[in-house]
Amino acid sequence: MPPTAATNLGYKPPDGGWGWVVVFASFISIGFSYAFPKSLTIYFKEIQEYFSVSYSEIAWLSSVMLASMYAGGPISSMLVNRYGSRPVVMVGGLLVCTGMALASLGTTIIHLYLCVGVIGGFGLAFNLQPALTIIGTYFQVKRPLANGLAMTGSPVVLSTLAPLNQFLFDSFGWRGSFLILGSIVLNCCVAGALMRPVIKPAQFQPDNDLSMSSRKGSVEAAAENVGSQSGENSKNRSTGQSFVSRYIDISLFTHRGFLIYLIGNVVMFFGFFAPVVFLAPYAKHQGTDEYSAALLLSIFALVDMFIRPVTGFLGNSKWVRPRIQYFFSFAVSYNGVCHLLCPLASGYGGLVVYAVFFGLAFGMLSALLFEVLMDLVGAHRFSSAVGLVTIIECGPVLLGPPISGALVDIFGDYKYMYYACGVFMLVPGIFFFIMHYYNYKKLNEEQRQSVVVDLMTSEETVELKISQIKKPCNKTEDGSF
Amino acid sequence: MKLLWAVAALLLSCWRADASTAGFIISPLSKMKLINDSVELHCEVIGNPIPEVQWWFIEGEESSETFTQLFDGARNERVRVNATYIEHATSTIHLLSLTLDDTGTYECRASNDPDRNDLKKTPKIKWIRSQANIIVIESPKITADPTEVVNQTSAILRCNLTESNLSSKGSYWTLNGKVIEDTKSDVNKYHAQLSLEKITHAESGPYECVFDTEPQVKQTIEVKVLPSVGAYKHSEHGNENDKVVLKCVAHGYPLPTDWVWFKEDAEDGREMPISNFTNERYNIKSTPNQTLLTIDELDMEGDSGNYICSGTNELGTNTDKIKLRVRSRLAALWPFLGIVAEVIILVTIIFIYEKRRKPDEVNDDDDVGSAPLKSNSTSNHKDKNVRQRNSN
Repeated sequence: MPPTAATNLGYKPPDGGWGWVVVFASFISIGFSYAFPKSLTIYFKEIQEYFSVSYSEIAWLSSVMLASMYAGGPISSMLVNRYGSRPVVMVGGLLVCTGMALASLGTTIIHLYLCVGVIGGFGLAFNLQPALTIIGTYFQVKRPLANGLAMTGSPVVLSTLAPLNQFLFDSFGWRGSFLILGSIVLNCCVAGALMRPVIKPAQFQPDNDLSMSSRKGSVEAAAENVGSQSGENSKNRSTGQSFVSRYIDISLFTHRGFLIYLIGNVVMFFGFFAPVVFLAPYAKHQGTDEYSAALLLSIFALVDMFIRPVTGFLGNSKWVRPRIQYFFSFAVSYNGVCHLLCPLASGYGGLVVYAVFFGLAFGMLSALLFEVLMDLVGAHRFSSAVGLVTIIECGPVLLGPPISGALVDIFGDYKYMYYACGVFMLVPGIFFFIMHYYNYKKLNEEQRQSVVVDLMTSEETVELKISQIKKPCNKTEDGSF
Repeated sequence: MKLLWAVAALLLSCWRADASTAGFIISPLSKMKLINDSVELHCEVIGNPIPEVQWWFIEGEESSETFTQLFDGARNERVRVNATYIEHATSTIHLLSLTLDDTGTYECRASNDPDRNDLKKTPKIKWIRSQANIIVIESPKITADPTEVVNQTSAILRCNLTESNLSSKGSYWTLNGKVIEDTKSDVNKYHAQLSLEKITHAESGPYECVFDTEPQVKQTIEVKVLPSVGAYKHSEHGNENDKVVLKCVAHGYPLPTDWVWFKEDAEDGREMPISNFTNERYNIKSTPNQTLLTIDELDMEGDSGNYICSGTNELGTNTDKIKLRVRSRLAALWPFLGIVAEVIILVTIIFIYEKRRKPDEVNDDDDVGSAPLKSNSTSNHKDKNVRQRNSN
């Protein structure tokens, strides 16, 4: 029995059927959320010349978009808690579409920051959270596999968008391309339409099955359970509760697993994206030509693409699932080791080997990133959790690549940057191993205690029910005779 | 008594030894140079106090020599003297644009004697001197065959070093100042040969055959071709009312001196020349390497078509063609509307399918309270059962 927290959803998730369609829809949403900002970099040179701005000003566009995407996390979580995944994703798709369409009419770079960066970023945030959340409502047993498959969207959409963007740019120029990209992103609305809210049959409440009146109460309780945790909070507690905690679960900050995840991730994200950004420049620095450097990125993306579902499948297997946190810690540490060993790679062959291993590491980590959070906090607190996590991760994600770039500039050599990134990932990895060992032990103890309590309370309720049943039986016997 | 005198003399010499006489650390070296070349002589002297350094020119035979001091700017600014006096004295004399008359002996004189410029005393006593010979010779004749290669597909370049007393250790060839690999030879001391099998713009340029003599002598053979003119992109796109830049680059030697742009007339194919004055929307910027034609405020009908850039050098002209397509402002609108329509259709189909499959379950998609509806129905069943039981 995996000692995971809060698996009591109040219903049995389908684990299949329409769930796989939802996985496909999440695949598209997540794919666009992660790949869209990266694929826009193709237009930067042309836009930079058109508006006559410096390179750093145009790079700000990516940063603003990424920052909005992460900052929009909590708002997205609140909306998902309140309205469910489907409307949020559709609104998100519409937002990005309008953002891009307005940007195609842009006259200044500030205009682009606002339309593509802020509006587009928020739209993508409204795509990311709900897509992750809805997987948790549809899957329990096969959840790691579903998560792995959904996260594969990111490299697949990126490798599709990159040549497509080049083609659009050649045919229509950057303005036309932005307009058409806006319409392509509108397909996220289709993905959102597919995200049908899960049908929650009221069943399997064994201690409530026996009496009619308490049955209704149990059904309502089940509905509240699968609804928002915060809804339950607002109903059960007094209305004197503050506005924020009605929509976002601040009590997560007292949740042990959540804190472990948060602290480790904040440190880890400093070194997460920088190696990807600097892979091609590092290769060119070593003397390879442009095409071979681009080929490295393609190898990396290809390996990434295949390893994510495989990781999901492995995470689902009965050996790994109970100890999936250790698997995650291993993935993080492996990333760190990979980066620390990178400066030893000599020549193009060494770089290819590094790209393959890095692809494996990156894919494993990405596939498990949100699965372990679901595993820790449970599916119905997941929405608030991921919102809080993304807004706090905003800082490291934005600061990571510029700090690495500064390291490269100061020392003139890429190896110090790789050492730094390796350390940034290895330390959280080891931290995760230690803390999760401790956490599993604690959870095991708590579960043993709660089983004992359950046995005692169920014995009591059984006695109570038997006495209750005996009374009406007596009545009917009396009534009938 | 004598011991006392000896000790006093020793002490006195020790005290006087504090001041040392001047001595050369680096003396100037003799050189042989060609006419119009330049030469420099270097001299470093140590002493306490720091000695003064002078340069003198000696002409003539023994016992009828003339001495001339060389100052900075002498010989019509062809002489430059650079001296520093930090810790020890250094002085460098540069002679530019050498002529045959510059041949002679150059002397570096140094002295730190306080009386050195005293007119009553003979200079020879107070100054130390070091000499170097500079011999200026005429450039030896190198016969080059051919003198120039013009518009040929292949050629053999030959240089002969004859009529010279200089001894050569070998020869090599350079192109554009860079040494060509595999042409360094110790065998070809006075005859150098280079064969060019295929001459394209990459092989054109100024070739030099260099002979390893003292001093080094060389001769230039220019290989000239027609300029290779190519468009940066053969198909360009521009947006209506926007601007576009058409670019042509040239390779080869010599680079074009004139660039001209033409626009091909749509109907008859005639080429109309374009210049900065044809239209205020046109702007041409040219360098020998490349030419840029900027067209502002593109007009869809008028500006679409073929543009020809032509580059001319002393041998001739070459051209290339660029096709410009001007997209209308609304070109991207049609795919956009098409995809939006597709999205709307798909979303509608999905919602309709959902409603048709399970009409009783899909009432309020967004309302979390869908469960009670179902439970109502099942509890109704249970009610029926209970009623049935009760009725029984």
